[in-house]
Amino acid sequence: MVQAVAPAMIDDATIERSPGYWSTVWRRFRRDPVAMIALGVIVLLILIAILAPYIAPHDPFRGATLRRLRPPGTPGYLLGTDELGRDMLSRLIYGARLSLFMGVTPVFLALFIGSAIGVTAGYVGGIVNTLLMRTIDIIFAFPSVLLAIALSGAMGAGIVNGLISLTIVFIPPIARIAESVTTSVRSLDYVEAARASGAGALSIVRKHVLGNVLGPIFVYAMSLIAVSMILASGLSFLGLGVRPPEPEWGLMLNTLRTALYTQPMLCALPGIMIFITSISFNLLTDGLRSAMDIKA
Amino acid sequence: MASDTVMTRAPAAAQATGSEPVRPLLEAADLVKHFPIKSGLLGRSNAVVRAVDGVTFSLYPGETLGIVGESGCGKSTTARVLMNLIKPDSGNVLLNGRAPGTPELSLKAFRSQVQMVFQDSYASLNPRLTVEDSIAYGPTVHGVSGTDAVRRARRLLDRVGLDPRRFAGRYPHELSGGQRQRVNIARALALEPKVIILDEAVSALDKSVEAQVLNLLLDLKEEIGLTYIFISHDLEVVRFIANRVMVMYLGRVAEIGPTDALYTGGRHPYTTALLGSMLSMDPDERTMEAPLAGDPPNPIDPPSGCRFHTRCSFAESVCSAKTPALTVSGTGHFTACHMVDPGSGHSKAAA
Repeated sequence: MVQAVAPAMIDDATIERSPGYWSTVWRRFRRDPVAMIALGVIVLLILIAILAPYIAPHDPFRGATLRRLRPPGTPGYLLGTDELGRDMLSRLIYGARLSLFMGVTPVFLALFIGSAIGVTAGYVGGIVNTLLMRTIDIIFAFPSVLLAIALSGAMGAGIVNGLISLTIVFIPPIARIAESVTTSVRSLDYVEAARASGAGALSIVRKHVLGNVLGPIFVYAMSLIAVSMILASGLSFLGLGVRPPEPEWGLMLNTLRTALYTQPMLCALPGIMIFITSISFNLLTDGLRSAMDIKA
Repeated sequence: MASDTVMTRAPAAAQATGSEPVRPLLEAADLVKHFPIKSGLLGRSNAVVRAVDGVTFSLYPGETLGIVGESGCGKSTTARVLMNLIKPDSGNVLLNGRAPGTPELSLKAFRSQVQMVFQDSYASLNPRLTVEDSIAYGPTVHGVSGTDAVRRARRLLDRVGLDPRRFAGRYPHELSGGQRQRVNIARALALEPKVIILDEAVSALDKSVEAQVLNLLLDLKEEIGLTYIFISHDLEVVRFIANRVMVMYLGRVAEIGPTDALYTGGRHPYTTALLGSMLSMDPDERTMEAPLAGDPPNPIDPPSGCRFHTRCSFAESVCSAKTPALTVSGTGHFTACHMVDPGSGHSKAAA
């Protein structure tokens, strides 16, 4: 029964390793063409945002009253010019910076804070759980758009205030998911076994809980990026987020609406960018979710 | 509850040869665990499930104590209370006479000496950790360096019959149930415990694999000098592996004694009925009728007096009026039945 292998042989033996969870997820993800295209689009958008000064044909801030509201296809101005005569292409390219930043940052901040709250509530349970989660429920009770607008309105317009209000909007849903996933994981036998080995709560959370809950929480947070982008654009559109003359897609949509009847194609351009970005994030999330759904 | 429970004194049952009193390794004294049932808007508890209701026993070094009983009788709760995974409402657990969580014996030190193997081999392994990492986790908690812990894990894998070269880097889902349960045993061994509580540890395995794992447990016990608490609903398996058996009914100890004495001469009607449910290998001795009808009563509102009186064919008025105490009924054999207790007032009891 018990094999007679000398201890030295065991210590020096080479171990056959199975691919880990995340490499399996990546292998499955790669086989999903839609998700890979979505990932490609997002990578491209990020590259555009980073390289904006090198690829934008014009200064996004310099306008000219003589060439206002040129339609797309105008020589020298591939996508036309806006209501102040600034090059649309350059502004859309530069706009990727703020729009992506405003979409992604609140979600990651909320992911960090919301997971901390949710995992704590879920693992500790009892009165701590009740206190944390009922507080979260109060915030969650407000419609997200209204809450974002109210918070931004109360704190005043600006990028930082916009980020803060969006982060607050996204903490409750993430905390809720984190709490429910953690609650289900903590009752599993391997957590009991870890407790039975004398480990403290922090060690158990780090080694046994986080590895099993961060995946689902992360996927959920990814799906919020699209919502966050649209909300951020909405705030800018209402004049509560990014302020002119900064190029940001939502804000551009707002300022161009005066030209809706004269240059409808031009007005649609920032909206198209928002649409492409948010649908890419959604498709990426779907792909990630199905790649992570491994029935082991 | 405390008044009607008699402390079992060292019957030295495990050591059939020696008659000198042996100090118990692990003692459970009048353990009580009630789970409140939450109801109402404010979550006030109106009722409690009396999962464990005054359980007292001792575990002697080197023995295997089997715990048997129907589902819901409190076997697993007893195990979790023993492990200090849930705090008992009252009563205490002593290891070598010392209570865990006190200055003489920290909870951490206690847990390195008492380990547990769970029934669900898959749920008891972290799916994100390789087998060797799962086994090595315990030692690292107790201050063993990472490399030493992994080395220990690989040697233990070898010891439980899994080639570390093939299995150490694998994830739980790649292993069969029997292999996973070997990993769980290796993990329990990693802290070099004195006592291992096996909570239905082989119940979910195929019969052939079950036999292999049982033999492994016996080998390990002999090699390392372990003491087991073996919880199972499988009476044959318990008879095979246990030196002493404790029969539980609705959160109480019905009978406790040496395996042979209990299996051949159980004194409690419940023990007799439970053992009567075992199927014989001989077709001429087929079981013609159900030895025990119905489900156990609801542990939320257990019967008064002897909890078995609602299903017992010998029940008399004294049985519902008075709770029977564990009474000596043989060498190291204790039974909680009025029929065994002389002067209890039961017509079948000795006067």
